[in-house]
Amino acid sequence: MVDQVLPEGVTAAQFEQALQEFRRILGREFVLAGLDETVSYRKVMIAVPEMDMAPSGALLPQTVEQIQSILKVCNQYRIAVWTISTGKNFGYGSAAPATRGQMVLDLRRMNKIIEVDPVLGTALVEPGVTYRQLRDYLDERGYKFWIDVPSPSAIVGPVGNTLERGVGYTPYGDHFMMSCGMEVVLADGQVLRTGMGGVSGSGSWQCFKWGYGPYLDGIFTQSNFGVVTKLGFWLMPAPPLFKPFAVRYANTSDLSRIVETLRPLRIAGLVPGGGIIQSPLYEIAMSNRRHDIYDGPGAIPADIIAREAKKLGLSMWNLYAGIYGGTEEQLTANWNILHAAFKASGGIIELEEDMSPVARKLFQRPKELMRGGLTLEEFSMYNFRGGGGSMWFAPVAPAKGEEATRQTAMASEILHKYSFDYVCGWVVGWRELHHIIDLLFDRSDPQEMQRAYQCFDELVTTFAKAGYGIYRTNTAFMNKVAETFGPAQRDINRRIKRALDPNGILAPGKSGIHI
Amino acid sequence: MPLRQSLLVAVTVACAVAGQARAQSAGQWHGPEDTYEKICRYCHDTGVGPALKGRRLQPAYITTTVRAGRNGMPAFRPSEISNSELLALGQWLERAASAGKP
Repeated sequence: MVDQVLPEGVTAAQFEQALQEFRRILGREFVLAGLDETVSYRKVMIAVPEMDMAPSGALLPQTVEQIQSILKVCNQYRIAVWTISTGKNFGYGSAAPATRGQMVLDLRRMNKIIEVDPVLGTALVEPGVTYRQLRDYLDERGYKFWIDVPSPSAIVGPVGNTLERGVGYTPYGDHFMMSCGMEVVLADGQVLRTGMGGVSGSGSWQCFKWGYGPYLDGIFTQSNFGVVTKLGFWLMPAPPLFKPFAVRYANTSDLSRIVETLRPLRIAGLVPGGGIIQSPLYEIAMSNRRHDIYDGPGAIPADIIAREAKKLGLSMWNLYAGIYGGTEEQLTANWNILHAAFKASGGIIELEEDMSPVARKLFQRPKELMRGGLTLEEFSMYNFRGGGGSMWFAPVAPAKGEEATRQTAMASEILHKYSFDYVCGWVVGWRELHHIIDLLFDRSDPQEMQRAYQCFDELVTTFAKAGYGIYRTNTAFMNKVAETFGPAQRDINRRIKRALDPNGILAPGKSGIHI
Repeated sequence: MPLRQSLLVAVTVACAVAGQARAQSAGQWHGPEDTYEKICRYCHDTGVGPALKGRRLQPAYITTTVRAGRNGMPAFRPSEISNSELLALGQWLERAASAGKP
């Protein structure tokens, strides 16, 4: 095995020279190169061999000025950098670049919480800040705000998740929607502050998103047009009252009526947070080893899923949502509306105290997430099949019952064809659903890995043919998913890329964008 | 991919030694207990990952697993926890008493 992966088109001698330059900028200890030093950057969960995405090294800056100097060297030597912040991105590619031989630009050391305005409820942070760090910062100062986290919560951070357009579970769950103002280092070293950040001395950078002229923040999300070094976002004032609940539905075919019931409540703001509609296998997978409940061929049969669901106090669909209020009176008024609607739809409504001990234990996870709490218990799901393989397939559906039903049928059929299980949660947006499916597989079995790759490929193809796009994908499928959004989008992304980064040094292949 | 354990021990005098990961995290941890509380325990005290305390696990084993990851466990990079912090974590874990069953 080679002990070093060279950047594409760069000789060993040139690479060594570039490394010297990087060491001069960052200090020796913050430039990693060779396979030993970059082992942490190769660990992936997706269905491709690690070496296909092996980086040449990693650069660990702590300041904007260092990033500017790094990019100068990258332009000189035509060395590409793949930017990460907290670098977890489970099941989407982890910290590894989309193509072999890029250097990881690891911003984890830039971990300053620059400002929290307790009056306006705004924050400005660097990419290495974690949600745990932010939570502690707010608590230490007695600031009564919630944060909104994605499932890996404590160990990941708001900048990376927002730039990937990730979602959480409180009313502030659409992270990019709640973002406000960015600082971006462009490939030529220029530093851009978006929106009101362009006005000298402005105090409005974190409180007015749109600024003046074209709104640019979007082009720096899921993209490779710049290196985001600061991000502003809004914090939700901690509500005095929070009432989380579950609604359980007995039949798989009930999905349509769940969505039809929930949509008007969500659009009207009566269910203000995301809410999750989960297939029972989601929590069965968190609670079991697969071989303990099923050892036969193919996907787990429906009767076994039903049997195991029952043991855990789950039904065939389990909706978790919450309402938030300032006063009991307000909460009760909202609750009465929701209660009547869910009852009329045939759901069994459960508060925590109504649940069996085992169901109550499982309920702690969505309950925590719906108030921005830090829990990683979802990831016991990775023990279900074992072997550390995970790829999230995440198509978007209009929030209509028949659309959700159709997607569930399509996804189940394809997954089952490849002998994988349909492990799904629907995250409920304002007018759409994020259909989040975890394709779990044993990465230590080369044949199973191959099968997982083929399965994911077919999912992307089939869903696109049916008119369903995907909100976010892993590094192995970025080109393919970009194709599904059509030639005009690929073309404009390429034209912007060529204008802003003519040498293509920033994260080639990110979201399928190349120069 | 085994890390070079022997060199990790010498991390404080490592400046002159080429070819090892020496990177420092940004000084956010106040000792191994703090790291464990803010990162490890979310999985290892909850049954998501195996319990680590009370098993006299070797610091070298902790270092290798943390850096490379294993199955569902992600890798943690030198930018998140420096080699010296990771070694201290391993030594602390080796001595830590069992927390009991989650």
